[in-house]
Amino acid sequence: MSEGIRLGFSRPGPIVPAQSVAGRTLMLLIGIMTFLSCVTFGGVLLVQKSAVGWSADVGREVTVQIRPVDGEVLESNIRLVISLAEAVPGVASAHALSLEESQSLLEPWLGAGLDLSDLSIPRLVIVRLSDPNAADIARLESEISAIAGVSLETHAAWRVQLNTMAGTIVVSGILVLALILVATALAIVFATRGTMSTNREIVDVLHFIGASNRFIAGEFQGRFLMIGLRGGAFGGLAAIGFFIAVGTAMGAVMADPSSAQLGFFFGQFALGFDGLLGIAGVVMVIAGLTAITSRLTVRRFLSQLS
Amino acid sequence: MIAFENVGLRYGHGPEILKDLTFTIDPGSFHFLTGPSGSGKTSLLRLLLLSLKPTRGTVSMFGEDVTRLDQDRLLQMRRHIGIVFQEFRLLDHLTTFENVALPLRVRGQSEVSYRANVEELLDWVGLGDRMEAYPSLLSGGEKQRAAIARAVIAKPDILLADEPTGNVDPGLSERLLHLFEELNRMGTTIILATHELGLLDKFGYPRMLLNDGEMIIHE
Ligand SMILES: Nc1ncnc2c1ncn2[C@@H]1O[C@H](COP(=O)(O)OP(=O)(O)OP(=O)(O)O)[C@@H](O)[C@H]1O
Ligand SMILES: [Mg+2]
Repeated sequence: MSEGIRLGFSRPGPIVPAQSVAGRTLMLLIGIMTFLSCVTFGGVLLVQKSAVGWSADVGREVTVQIRPVDGEVLESNIRLVISLAEAVPGVASAHALSLEESQSLLEPWLGAGLDLSDLSIPRLVIVRLSDPNAADIARLESEISAIAGVSLETHAAWRVQLNTMAGTIVVSGILVLALILVATALAIVFATRGTMSTNREIVDVLHFIGASNRFIAGEFQGRFLMIGLRGGAFGGLAAIGFFIAVGTAMGAVMADPSSAQLGFFFGQFALGFDGLLGIAGVVMVIAGLTAITSRLTVRRFLSQLS
Repeated sequence: MIAFENVGLRYGHGPEILKDLTFTIDPGSFHFLTGPSGSGKTSLLRLLLLSLKPTRGTVSMFGEDVTRLDQDRLLQMRRHIGIVFQEFRLLDHLTTFENVALPLRVRGQSEVSYRANVEELLDWVGLGDRMEAYPSLLSGGEKQRAAIARAVIAKPDILLADEPTGNVDPGLSERLLHLFEELNRMGTTIILATHELGLLDKFGYPRMLLNDGEMIIHE
């Protein structure tokens, strides 16, 4: 028992024993909850970003459909539509899809190798807008309406549908996120109460030797904050790993030209900087939630003791 | 310093363990608390520790009616009371040193400020070489001495000791009583529950004798 040995013990042992806090289980639970929150958050963010992107892309063009009508020359109607369209302000260019291109659009529904030249399928003119807001769509519509068998498709209905769907997903995501947070808080309440009960003897002895509730609460809270931070960091990192893995897998799949369509749907499957910031935010929220919930629970537990 | 007035105590719907106790204890006094097993010695000490409320009557300590204290004030008041439990109640995950230092630690003192004091006291009770041992490795008598050291380390105004010499040989039990006497001389009011007639006779302090829930004080 030399002085030297004693100095080695100069940090007092923790008053709440580490292994007595249902630490591992709670940490795992918080980790999983954080992961779920981050994935939900990331998913919502991706949907939101893609929807805005698609909507803008789609809004940048309108399509004119020209059906073959008896007594009309299809090709000259197409040229007429193109020249009318290009004269409208806000239109960048207009071009007709060739018969083959139209055919390939129908391929997924009708199958390949079908000779469509006998069928009188409508032809499409794609009108690109230089500025979707300034383009005079109404004038375009009225000018081409004089031509028989011509109709204008602005994709407005489709965009409304897309926005509604994206909005629904975002709202559902936020709801799921809120529910996960509530579930996490409840789990922490239970875990904290459990921990306090298992450590009841320690709490009682501390009370008997003159510890204030503030002191005891501080000893327990420190533990829970650490658990919250570790679990949160673990879940957040797992979520980032998840998005990187999915992004990479998506990239590999998209390299295959047959699934170019997927690429269009998923856009760039990357969270970006704001996504990472958001995940960090989710981790902080969960760690904070752990700290606050356990603090309130500990206080409540202590004040209920006589 | 302590005044009981018509104090009665029962656990739940059980029989009245303490009936109609009325007595006062002056500051700086030393009392033995004695009586047969099950007569309510521990229960009386729990009333004094403010860990039980009487079912009737009033208990006042330090001039305050303690039956109507709020929790914060009650916890504050405990800082003036030292307690040696019959079953020690040391914390198993802390070393002997840490257990004894705990009352100072919960009062916010730093280890640097109390280490020397705690070591000195542990030497005094003969645990100088068991400081880093955990309670599970201590003998009954060693635990008892650690419990006593923890109760007195913060120099309480009132020391409550429940059979503090129950597990030690007569020689050591006399030495421990001398420690209590020393504290008493420095002003601590002491109430010491014991069965040991030898001690009662050897140290002629007033006895509070509990029997059938009634108390007789032999000055
Ligand atoms: N928590 C409790 N609930 C119900 N009854 C209790 C409780 N604690 C003690 N008792 C009862 O109260 C009576 C007095 O018990 P107490 O422990 O105060 O006696 P004691 O004088 O300290 O005995 P001993 O000398 O054996 O330590 C006993 O009959 C006991 O069974
Ligand atoms: Mg007893």
